[in-house]
Amino acid sequence: MNNQFYSLKRVNKLGLQSLLLTLFLFAMPSFAITDILEFKSPEQEQLYRELTAELRCPKCQNQNIADSNAVVAVDMRHKTLQLVEQGMDKAQVIDYMKTRYGDFVHYQPPFRFSTIWLWLLPILLVIALAVVMLKKQRQQTITQNADDAELQAMIDAVRKKQP
Amino acid sequence: MRKLQFFIPLALFLGLAVFLFSGLFSNPRDHGSALVTQPMPQFSLPNLTEPSRLMTNADLKGKVYLLNVWGTWCATCNAELGFLTTLRQQGIEIIGLYYVQPPEAAFGERFDMTALQQEVSRKLAEQGDPYQFNMVDEKRSLIFDLGVTGAPETFLVDASGIIRHHLVGDINEQNWPALHTQYQALLAPAPAANSTAATDAKNNAGGQGE
Amino acid sequence: MIAELGHLALCFALAISLVLAIFPLYGSYKGAAGPVLLARPLAILLFLLTSVAFGALCYSFWSNDFTVLNVASNSNSMLPWYYRMTAVWGSHEGSMLLWVLMLSGWTAAVALLSNSLPLILQGRILGVLGIINVGFYGFVLLMSNPFERTLPFFPVDGRDLNPLLQDFGMIIHPPLLYMGYVGFAVSFAFAIAALLGGRFDSNWARWARPWTLAAWLFLTLGIMLGSWWAYNELGWGGWWFWDPVENASFMPWLVGTALLHSLAVTEKRGTFKSWTVLLAIAAFSLSLLGAFLVRSGVLVSVHSFAADPDRGLYLLAFLLVVVGGSLLLYALRMNAVRSQARYQLFSREVLLWSNNIFLLTATLVVFLGTLYPLVHKELGLGSISIGEPFFNQLFYYLTIPFALLLGVGPWVRWKQQQLHPLLAPFSYIAMIAVVLALGYQALAHDFATNLGLLGLLLGAWVAVSAVAETLLRIRQLGGGARAFWQLPASHWGMTLGHLGFAVLVIGVAMTKTYSVEKDVRMKIGEKVQFNQYSFTLSEVYALKGPNYGGQAAELEVYENGEKITHLHAEKRFYPVQKTVMTEAAVDAKLSRDLYVALGEELDGPSWALRIYVKPFVRWIWLGGLLMAFGALLALLDKRYRRKVTAEGVSHA
Repeated sequence: MNNQFYSLKRVNKLGLQSLLLTLFLFAMPSFAITDILEFKSPEQEQLYRELTAELRCPKCQNQNIADSNAVVAVDMRHKTLQLVEQGMDKAQVIDYMKTRYGDFVHYQPPFRFSTIWLWLLPILLVIALAVVMLKKQRQQTITQNADDAELQAMIDAVRKKQP
Repeated sequence: MRKLQFFIPLALFLGLAVFLFSGLFSNPRDHGSALVTQPMPQFSLPNLTEPSRLMTNADLKGKVYLLNVWGTWCATCNAELGFLTTLRQQGIEIIGLYYVQPPEAAFGERFDMTALQQEVSRKLAEQGDPYQFNMVDEKRSLIFDLGVTGAPETFLVDASGIIRHHLVGDINEQNWPALHTQYQALLAPAPAANSTAATDAKNNAGGQGE
Repeated sequence: MIAELGHLALCFALAISLVLAIFPLYGSYKGAAGPVLLARPLAILLFLLTSVAFGALCYSFWSNDFTVLNVASNSNSMLPWYYRMTAVWGSHEGSMLLWVLMLSGWTAAVALLSNSLPLILQGRILGVLGIINVGFYGFVLLMSNPFERTLPFFPVDGRDLNPLLQDFGMIIHPPLLYMGYVGFAVSFAFAIAALLGGRFDSNWARWARPWTLAAWLFLTLGIMLGSWWAYNELGWGGWWFWDPVENASFMPWLVGTALLHSLAVTEKRGTFKSWTVLLAIAAFSLSLLGAFLVRSGVLVSVHSFAADPDRGLYLLAFLLVVVGGSLLLYALRMNAVRSQARYQLFSREVLLWSNNIFLLTATLVVFLGTLYPLVHKELGLGSISIGEPFFNQLFYYLTIPFALLLGVGPWVRWKQQQLHPLLAPFSYIAMIAVVLALGYQALAHDFATNLGLLGLLLGAWVAVSAVAETLLRIRQLGGGARAFWQLPASHWGMTLGHLGFAVLVIGVAMTKTYSVEKDVRMKIGEKVQFNQYSFTLSEVYALKGPNYGGQAAELEVYENGEKITHLHAEKRFYPVQKTVMTEAAVDAKLSRDLYVALGEELDGPSWALRIYVKPFVRWIWLGGLLMAFGALLALLDKRYRRKVTAEGVSHA
């Protein structure tokens, strides 16, 4: 019957959000889920929140396990809590889930040859567009110089004709 | 002189269109299984008819079998029972893994093994009993380790305990022949079994109840 | 009877759009004015007919006509009248009808407001719009007819509108969003018309720009509203999920922003033509792609309508014709175009190009994140998921250089700019920005180098730069109130747009870094403390609404001991669809939101509550509003109301 006084913690560190939203057009069962959980330490709570935001419910239509009420999502949340309390770090918990549910279950794609394009293509695009810009800009100067050279040649030709 | 670079957007779009077209005919809910070619996870679960007896991996060693995850709450599973029973009559070994839905604590529900036994025997009497035996996974521990997301799902396991196929959805006349071939191949001596099973790592989609 | 009238009106509309697709283009090709002049009355008639059809569906919902399948599936007699009206576009069929209403509206608007355009160009634009109309009317009539009847057996009552959609947001979010999506069809039509005619003078860019601004304005509002609505409605305190359908709206927005800036260059300096045309094609293509993704079932999304591969096939075929055809035309026609403009490496042209590099790369990131899982799976490589972590990571790296450049851009002149005169103002701006950002962080939070600080720095850099540049222009115009009014509306548009972006960046960074959430169990009278805020649950009672029941909770909120507000949170149960919805209680201030969602009743009796403190979250939508307002101001610029003179036309 304790009323818990939770200290204010920053749930997010650089880059990661704790809970996100989804928009539904299908009728879904209750999503007023609130697991009242007790954490042994703020770091564990932080880790739990990050994990449940990044792990995908394998059964749902694009929801993380924090937001979903599906049986598998609830089970995954409980398991995540258990593993976090056992002292596993983020990579270990994600690996545990992936062994069972596949790469699909993590919202961050794996870093492999087949997926490296996700990072490589944007970098290549930036470089490509920058190169195009430089070439375009330089092209005009060349055209300009070429025009000047042509003009100069014409002037010389006329001058030659003059006595 | 046509500059070819202006054709790049068109080429990229056509490439995309190919994938979009292909995507129309594939099932976006089907996302493969992480368990194929993995060994059956360790488990120790009570036998439905004899709850004091715990079934473990040792009980299933040396057999080629289908592990069927099901529940009486699942409409598709109930529909599947009849077909599976005919398979049993043909000599196919089917083990049942009962998926226990979490009880609604708010309504004061608790897990009741006796009630479950009665419910199951009633359903099997109605639809047919395809199972050698049933294991009750109250905490869904083996179900979790198998990467099961709902019911019915079926695993084809070989004699050395390696999972060879994971089917999400019911077994029916359309998808049974392919699975049957794989089953038969596993019954044969080792070399043939390995080559046939290793080539088939996708699972088929069927109807799936919740 | 009314439904049949609506259906008939749609059939006539299809016929009119066919005529609209053929005659004006033919007239332009032959140089005959007659068929082209026909376009205007045709377009207006098209819009009127579609309005009749839309009105018929509205009437069916209003009068609870459950013999109409669409009404029976999406409405209910207990639904309040304003939600019965929004249920009109709550389904695939209804939303497609809304789409064609918007499309015919834009077509009619173009027909009415294009007096200053040469007749041939008008004909081509309306003809292209006609082709697009044909495609969509065909889709509605063949594959998603909202007027189907359930006769001879019809239900006594309907299946009700999804409770999630029974919200103010649903009333305005889809119409605004569709106005945006469909509005880009006009820019697209301008681009195709230009390709057909082979002329890309700066007048073309000047005419295309207001239409693009209007479409962009609506899309910005639509997206912002969707985010705000989800935040208020769903009870998770989140405002963006990178769901495929959300991404499908974000991509045209990003390309649309790039298009706006590219149009500015083409209008002012006559260069970047091929890019402007390509971007105009791309913006609308992405709108079409979005429609395809939402309605075909190719991607899994919480947003998608029921999947139907047949619809997907039709839309894909339509995509091939429209996008494939336009890109082919682009490839064939564009290489004949030359620009004469020259510019130095440090010039506004180059900076706008750089701006577009980042916008287009951002579009590529969203595109890859949305569609790569499909490609990966179709190639047999397995299923992967791409979500928030990926997008956050890449947008983080893209936004930093983008924001830095944004602060520089407005100061740089066209054609060439010396760096030297800019050094002084930039140093001042940088110093002010750093002081503001560091100062705020030191006062409000424990100082830490984190995303919040970075967001503040970038936002301050852009904001101070935009304001300082405007002040400089005012001073150059002579200073004082007179100069204030003399500054062109489009300049104000730019300033506000960039300010809006700065505000958005700050909002995102701060809310991501400093949001706190807690799940607590509370009894009546209990108190929970969050730093300076304390929340007391004062009472919980049963609810009775027009089509729902449930529970409501009242909370008192104190800040540093003083009562600041009273919150009312609800948990509703809708019996028809058997769904439970949370209506979160939000105390909104610019500096922070206090957000409470009521959960389940637990033993005690006690209740589960989720409480959030979200600093600066309003800044996100405020930023969007500022950007939209900037677009509105730019639209009102006098130069779009001036008539064009013959000398303005020149060959590409």
